[in-house]
Amino acid sequence: MPGADKETDLSERIESFLSELKRCGSGAGSLRGSAETARETTALLRRITAQARWGNAGDLMEIIRKEGRRMTAAQPSETTVGNMVRRVLKIIREEYARSRGSTEEADQQESLHKLLTSGGSSEDNFRQHFAHLKANVIEAINELLTELEGTTDNISMQALEHIHSNEVIMTIGRSRTVEAFLKDAARKRKFHVMVAECAPFCQGHEMATSLSKEDIETTVIPDAAIFAVMSRVNKVIIGTQTVLANGGLRAVNGTHTLALAAKHHSTPLIVCAPMFKLSPQVSDTPVQSHLHDLVKLTSILSKVNAHGPVFDYVPPELITLFISNIGGNAPSYIYRLMSELYHPEDHEL
Amino acid sequence: VTRLRVKPGESILETSKRTNSRQLPEEQPLLQAVLVADSFNRRFFPITKDQPRALLPLANVSMIDYTLEFLTSTGVQETFVFCCWMASKIKEHLRKSKWCRPTSPNVVHVITSDLYRSLGDVLRDVDAKALVRSDFLLVYGDVVSNIDISQALQEHKQRRNMDKNVSVMTMIFKESPPGHKTRCEDDDIIIAMDGKSKRILHYQRAQALKRLHFPMNIFHSGSDEFEIRFDLLDCHISICSPQVAELFTDNFDYQTKNDFVRGLLVNEEILGNQIHMHVTKDGYGARVSNLLMYDTVSSDTIRRWVYPITPEANFADQEGQSCTHSRHNVYRETGVSLGHGSQMEENVLIGRNTMIGANCTISNTVIGANCVIGDNVTLDRAYIWNRVHIADDVKVKQSVICDNVEVKHGVVLNEQCVLAYNVVVGPDITLPEGTVLSMHHPDEEDDEDDDEFLSDDNDVGYRKDKTKQKVFNPAEVGSEGKGYRWKTSSLEDTEEDELAECIWGLVLNADPESDSESEVSEGSHDLGSHPASPELDDVKVFQNEVHGTLQRGLDENISCDNLVLEINSLKYAYNISLKEVMQILIRVVLEFPFHQQGAQISTAQYSSHLLPLLKKWAPVFKNYVKRPQDQLDCLASMEEVFLERETHWAALVKVLMSMYQLEILEEEGIMHWFNQGSTTDKSQQLRRNQGLLKFIQWLQEAEESSEGDE
Repeated sequence: MPGADKETDLSERIESFLSELKRCGSGAGSLRGSAETARETTALLRRITAQARWGNAGDLMEIIRKEGRRMTAAQPSETTVGNMVRRVLKIIREEYARSRGSTEEADQQESLHKLLTSGGSSEDNFRQHFAHLKANVIEAINELLTELEGTTDNISMQALEHIHSNEVIMTIGRSRTVEAFLKDAARKRKFHVMVAECAPFCQGHEMATSLSKEDIETTVIPDAAIFAVMSRVNKVIIGTQTVLANGGLRAVNGTHTLALAAKHHSTPLIVCAPMFKLSPQVSDTPVQSHLHDLVKLTSILSKVNAHGPVFDYVPPELITLFISNIGGNAPSYIYRLMSELYHPEDHEL
Repeated sequence: VTRLRVKPGESILETSKRTNSRQLPEEQPLLQAVLVADSFNRRFFPITKDQPRALLPLANVSMIDYTLEFLTSTGVQETFVFCCWMASKIKEHLRKSKWCRPTSPNVVHVITSDLYRSLGDVLRDVDAKALVRSDFLLVYGDVVSNIDISQALQEHKQRRNMDKNVSVMTMIFKESPPGHKTRCEDDDIIIAMDGKSKRILHYQRAQALKRLHFPMNIFHSGSDEFEIRFDLLDCHISICSPQVAELFTDNFDYQTKNDFVRGLLVNEEILGNQIHMHVTKDGYGARVSNLLMYDTVSSDTIRRWVYPITPEANFADQEGQSCTHSRHNVYRETGVSLGHGSQMEENVLIGRNTMIGANCTISNTVIGANCVIGDNVTLDRAYIWNRVHIADDVKVKQSVICDNVEVKHGVVLNEQCVLAYNVVVGPDITLPEGTVLSMHHPDEEDDEDDDEFLSDDNDVGYRKDKTKQKVFNPAEVGSEGKGYRWKTSSLEDTEEDELAECIWGLVLNADPESDSESEVSEGSHDLGSHPASPELDDVKVFQNEVHGTLQRGLDENISCDNLVLEINSLKYAYNISLKEVMQILIRVVLEFPFHQQGAQISTAQYSSHLLPLLKKWAPVFKNYVKRPQDQLDCLASMEEVFLERETHWAALVKVLMSMYQLEILEEEGIMHWFNQGSTTDKSQQLRRNQGLLKFIQWLQEAEESSEGDE
């Protein structure tokens, strides 16, 4: 039975992706960037669209939602997966609307009146069958994949607009996007980078080595020196793990300190974040990994709780500008981008 | 198709239909694991009367799921689960779990038999069925861990490649200093290891020992880095080569891993097998071996030390188990309702559809699914399993409350209480510290002992009927209570006392096995009864035996060849090195006249007695003294003997002379020994002895003349 075989193959792929996601979280697996995770998720969703059995858009959305829930549950701190699932759901909605002949824009403009009258019953509309829907959806997902491929390039292209000669730039930890951004600027301009080491994992050290290989003048500073050095800094450029719906960040631990110091010295804080990091989440849950150095402490004091947060929440007031693959935006504009990228009904998977 | 031979009636083997692992290329043998889902002890009694230990919930997930998750995340592709006690329940659980889904990366086979009595039996069965093909992991079904063992695996493989079949096992240890709360007191061990090769030289359980003995030979292992460590926690995870199973088959008296490790170390010279270790600094690994450990591991899981295995990860992938994690480590599954004014202070996990009344204070607590908790309840370090009803005004401190228990109004549970399945307590009763209540009467215990406690479920049902006839004591369980008390703190019946404390893992005199251990290690002369008898005593006994052999040889005129044979067999019996054999032989022979004639004989008498003996036993000496180094050793031990008997120094020359003439010793050896810098005044004195100087001079002259002849 080729059909059954196809399906087991598909579910096997999903399982292996899930276990890889889980292992990523533990730090045991291969350390991947979120860009790669986003690409892999989208590719997997394309495969699901192509291989799973569905008759109409409603079925497909249900399947994707179900798998999406499992994928996000596998690694709750990695929001990229959920974001990609939402993007694909949005694509399906658009393609369905186009096939039906109506425009998605009509749905977009939701007035208060419309919200009250229509209720949540828009699902029923997705039951119609269209023969070419599958091809269209896959085509659109391919476009999304191409967009994902180009994100880092698109962001680093804007580097020269923001980094000027002889500036002092501060960054924290290691972000692939920021790395590419700085390296791109270094082709034309000379500037100095301060890297906060970002203890206890000290990704900052790797960042500094990588930058200095490109002949960028680099200094590593301990996290405690952030405030002291800030007065000399012209710009702070950081990456983030997630951009939250309110324009805040969930970024690597220490970023909040950095942002507060930047605010105190009125230094502009620029966040390099590709669009796929934009998440409709608002609440922030502290995510904790194990901190080995504290093991001995608990052995003496069993009543002491040791917390090792990995991420900081940075409120939107502290951020000057977001640079994404589609251009620069202020934090207050994030809500608008959100409604363009995701359908409101998909916020909760 | 299963490739396993199954003896009818003895075991049932289950193979999941898809064995995708078979399709892997040959060069990469799939990683296998043996999971022993039975503890082979009764630490958790009476709880384990109704549910096997591997299925007890820890932070609302069965313990075996933690172990399987650990195995899977380290890349194990095939796991053999061995069950004995309540095997059908474990099988049922696994069948429903995600491990038996066709997509599972880890293929789980369940092997059950009522005949397993120990770890040894399980591994013998592994060998008999030829289940493992290459290195495998050996764990218990109650190990909670997130240790990344890939490095240890690699090291193990490297060692195996370097010396074929020498290293058979790598044990995983976690660094945790004394006083660390994951350290289980029954499991305290002292390890002597080679710092460079990570080889274990000596392994001893340190439980309640006041003195420790280390055999001398471990210091002669030829390594310059040597560590004795007490800061290690055995994670009960070991990487074994297939030989381990074979060794268990060969040595049918090995019951536990402890037996095995000690057996191997003691017989290292004969079998040539070594055990290595891997120490991890980070990562978490502990075995839930008693309720105290259960308490510790539960709270560590909730405090996220076992990350990424955390409650909200829902790694067991059970429907509806997912929960949310919020500040102060408060986890809530779906459908939890919390009354007005109730507080979840910190480290709390609440299962689905549990209802909590008003004004409750809950901290460091795990509550299972579908529980109902009344108003004004205080819970601290309580472990409440599923479908428990707790009425108003109840206080619980550090206790375990099993499924379907009913705690009525106003009950206070003090530290370390255990309410086993279906017990009813109250109302208005305070249970003293360490109370264990169960629906099973403690007397059943004895009945069961006779027909062996590993019986099947029918028996349990039958016994339940029987217990109904017995009356519940209202003083113990309250006026509406149901259940029997398993222990009173001041009780003459010591056996029960031990049992109940055992469950919390506090006592040390509980298991007889450890008793015998401590006795022996405290220097008893009960030799041979235990493999770990101290080496020093062996030497003494060996000396006596050699003396006896020589005496007999003299009396019965046995030929020298046979004497050598006997001494050699003694050498193996007492595990004595060749060098020591020679030293002892010299000592015995030199002291021989004293034993025969009494210690007060004159020097002349001594030498007249000794010289014929030397002549007679010359072939024996020649057998042992071969290399120049042997001669030096021989001379050194002669010196040692004579240093003890100052009055007979004159005889030394005669001994040396006759040994020289018998061609046991050569002149180079004697000269070398003589010229060697002596360390003590006394041995310098010995060297200045008139006769000796003459002898040396004579030797030198003889040498010169022989050179002249040439």
